[in-house]
Amino acid sequence: MAVVGFGYNPSLVERTFFFSGNEAIAHGAVRAGAGFACGYPGTPSTEIIETLVGLGGIHAEWCANEKVALETAVGASLAGVRSIVTMKHVGLNVAADPLMTLSLTGVNAGLVVVTADDPGMHSSQNEQDNRTYARFAKIPMLEPSDSQEAYDFVAEAFALSERFDTPVLLRSTTRISHGRGQVLPRVAVALEPREYERDLDKYVMVPQHARVRNHIVLERLERLRGFSEESPLNVLEAGTSDFGIIAAGVAYGYAREAFPKAWFLKLGLSNPLPYAKVVRLYEHVSRVAVVEELDPFIEEQVRSLGLPVVGKAAIPAEGELDQDVVFRALEPYVVRKPPRRRRPTVPPAPRLASPAPPAGLPVRHPVLCPGCTHWSVFAVLRRLRLAPMGDIGCYTLGALPPLLALDTCLCMGASVGMMAGFNQALGRKAAAAVIGDSTFFHSGVTSLIDAFSNEAEGLVVVLDNLSTAMTGHQGHPGTGVHPDGRRGPGVDIQRLCEGIGVRCVTVDATDYASLEAAISAEASAPGLGVVVARAPCVLTLRETPGAAAVDAGRCNLCGACLEIGCPALVPGETAMRVTEACTGCGLCIEICRRGALGRAGALLGGAS
Amino acid sequence: MNGATTVSIVGVGGQGILLAAAILAETATAQGLEVRGSEVKGMAQRGGSVLSTVRFGEHVWSPVSRYADVVIATELLEGVRGLDLLGPRGTLVCAHTTRIPPGGVLRGEEDYPADLAGAAVLNNVRLLAVDAEALAREAGTLRAVNVVLLGAASAVLPFDGSSWRRGLEATVPASILAVNERAFALGRDAVAEEVGQ
Repeated sequence: MAVVGFGYNPSLVERTFFFSGNEAIAHGAVRAGAGFACGYPGTPSTEIIETLVGLGGIHAEWCANEKVALETAVGASLAGVRSIVTMKHVGLNVAADPLMTLSLTGVNAGLVVVTADDPGMHSSQNEQDNRTYARFAKIPMLEPSDSQEAYDFVAEAFALSERFDTPVLLRSTTRISHGRGQVLPRVAVALEPREYERDLDKYVMVPQHARVRNHIVLERLERLRGFSEESPLNVLEAGTSDFGIIAAGVAYGYAREAFPKAWFLKLGLSNPLPYAKVVRLYEHVSRVAVVEELDPFIEEQVRSLGLPVVGKAAIPAEGELDQDVVFRALEPYVVRKPPRRRRPTVPPAPRLASPAPPAGLPVRHPVLCPGCTHWSVFAVLRRLRLAPMGDIGCYTLGALPPLLALDTCLCMGASVGMMAGFNQALGRKAAAAVIGDSTFFHSGVTSLIDAFSNEAEGLVVVLDNLSTAMTGHQGHPGTGVHPDGRRGPGVDIQRLCEGIGVRCVTVDATDYASLEAAISAEASAPGLGVVVARAPCVLTLRETPGAAAVDAGRCNLCGACLEIGCPALVPGETAMRVTEACTGCGLCIEICRRGALGRAGALLGGAS
Repeated sequence: MNGATTVSIVGVGGQGILLAAAILAETATAQGLEVRGSEVKGMAQRGGSVLSTVRFGEHVWSPVSRYADVVIATELLEGVRGLDLLGPRGTLVCAHTTRIPPGGVLRGEEDYPADLAGAAVLNNVRLLAVDAEALAREAGTLRAVNVVLLGAASAVLPFDGSSWRRGLEATVPASILAVNERAFALGRDAVAEEVGQ
C-alpha cells in the first residue's frame, strides 16, 4: 500500500480502517481541519457529505445545485474556514462559472473542490474527463490512487490551496470513490487562523482587477509547476526493466499490477505536470507509455515536450481500464525495439474499446421500484399525444423497457427548456416536460421562468416524491430536510410556480383518477401549466397498505396490468400472480378492467 | 499476474452482498494481508445486478480484476453470469436454489437458465452448489444466505478460523452474531465432503 508520510507523524491508532475512497475523503477533511462542507448529491460523490454528517464537528449541507454549492463554499473560505465542496463530474459543468473566476480571486482559508468522475458511465449521462478543468482553470489537481491517498491528499490539497492562494481540484473516479482499501489514520493538522480581510483588488473581478489577477494566475501556475517537480506527491519509482509508465489515480494501480517490473512516474499532483520529472524518466528507460483512462490528458503534454510515447494508440480512449486491459494493450510495446528518431508525425487515432460480447443471459435492467408513483404518471403520459422530454433522476428509468415513456434525457433541468423550445418551434403544445422535485430546484426553475416570460406553451409534470431519491433520499429545498435529519423550512413548488405566474395544481400521485384528470386537463389547456404529482418515495414509507392479490376466476391474462411494468406482477399459467415485492400501491387495481385485482383479504375468495 | 487473490460476490440488490464483502475484507485484514475492493451498486436498490470485488495478498494495487479466483453468487442467474468472471481453475460458490427472475423473464421475453452444472463443466471450473436458503433458515434467518455462502467459500480460501471469527465480529451486530456464526458453520460443513476436508 502506498502509504506516504508527507511530513506528518502517523498517530498511534488501534487499527486501520477499510474505507471507501469517499469515506476516506470525508475523514481526511476532518483531519485537515475543514469546517464547512457542501455539495449536490450525485454518484459517485454522494457518500462524502453523508459520511461527514456522521462524523460531526463540521457544518455539512446539501445545496440546490453545484454552482450554488461552490459559491457557498467560497463564502465560507473567505470567512476563514477550510471548505470542501463535492460533486459528480457533470456537476462541475454547473459549477464551472464560479470556478473559472475563483481561479483569479484565489481563496482565504483552503478550498478543495472534489470532482468524482465516472469512466464507464456506471451511473451517468456522459464520461467527460474533468482533468481538463484543472488545465482550463489553471489550478492544481490531486489524483489519489487508493483510499489511503484519498485520506492523505485532502490535507495536501488544503495546504496547497492556502500556500498558493488557489482552489484545488481533488479528482476521484468511481473506482477510487467506491473502491475500498485499508487506511491508517493520521494526527490532525494544526491550523493557522485566517481572519477575513477586505481586499477589493483580489475579490472584485472587474476588468482592471481581473487583468492583474490573471497575470498572478499565470505566475502561480509556474510556481506550482516548480512545486510539482519537487513534491513527493510525484514519485519516480525505480524498476528493473527498460519500460517506463506514467500514470495517476486508479490507472496507476492497474499499470502497477500489469507491469510490476516497469519504471513508474506516479503522479499524485497531475496538474501542472512536472516536465523535468517526465524527462528524467526517459533517462532511465527507452520506451515510455502513459496509462490513463478517457482522454490523452497526460499523453498530449508529454508529446508537447517532443518525447515519443505510447498512449491512446494502444489504450482504449473510452470506458474503464483494468490490469488485464492495460497488459494486453501494452505488451507488444514492452518487447518492441526502441523507436528511432523519426520525422514528426501526427499521433495515431485513439483506440476504441471493443463492445462487450452479448452473454445471452437475461439482463437485470434497473427498474422503478414496485409501488413507485412514477408508474402512475407514466401510465397517464403514455396516453397523451405529447412528446415527453425527460430529466435526470429515478424517473429516467421510465425511458427503458417496459415503459419507454420518455423521449429524452440530456442533463439536469434540461426537460423544461427543451419542452419550451420544442413547442415554440412548432407553434403548439407538442411536448411535455417530466422533471423530479430535486431536479426542478436544481435547474428547472430558471427554465420555467424563461418559458413563462417567453410565452411558451407547455405542460410540466413535477414528480414530487419529497426526496432526492435516486442518490439515496437526500433533502432538497422543497423538503427543507438537512443532511443530519433536522427539518427546516421547505419551498412549496405550487406557490413558487404561482409566484412566477404559472398555472399550477398539486395532486396526490397515489390517487390515479385525480392524477389522470389533472394531467389530461392541463395537456389540453392553452398556455403553460404545471402539475405537481406528489407522494412520498415508496422506499421511505414505513407502513404500506395491504398487498394486491389476484382473483384467478376473473383474470384472463389480458396483459393490461403488465403495461405499467410493475416488477411485482408476474404472469402465471392461468392468471396473473402478485409477488412478495408488492408494496400495495394499488395502481394495478385501478388499471385492471375486469376487477380481477384487489387488496389481499378484500377479494371474495380465489385470492392467490 | 501477481500474488493477489480475487473474490467477486455477485447477486441482486438486498441480498447482503456488500456486507459479505465487508466480512471478507475484515477477515483478510485479520489474516495480516493487504486488502482492496470495489463495488458496483449505483442501481442496486432498483433491481440491478450487484457486484462487489475483494482482493487480498501481500501487495494489492488494483481494486478490480477482470478475472476472479472465486465467485460467490447469491442467486442462480447471477451465478451463471459470474462464470464469465472466473479464470481457469476458479471456483464458483452458488446459491443454486435461489432464483430471482428479472423483468424480461417475468414478461416471458427471455429464458431463465435451467441450471448451473452444465455451464460450469463447460467452463472448466470447480462448482460448489449450496442450498443456501435452506441452511440460512436452519441457522435462524433467511437473511444469512450471504454468510452461509461465505462459510462454503471458506473451504477454498486461505484464512484461519480465528480470522473469520474476527471478520464476523468486526462487521456483524453482536445481537445477530450467533445466528451468523451458525450460518457460516453450516455453509462450511455443506461443502466439506466435496472439498475433501
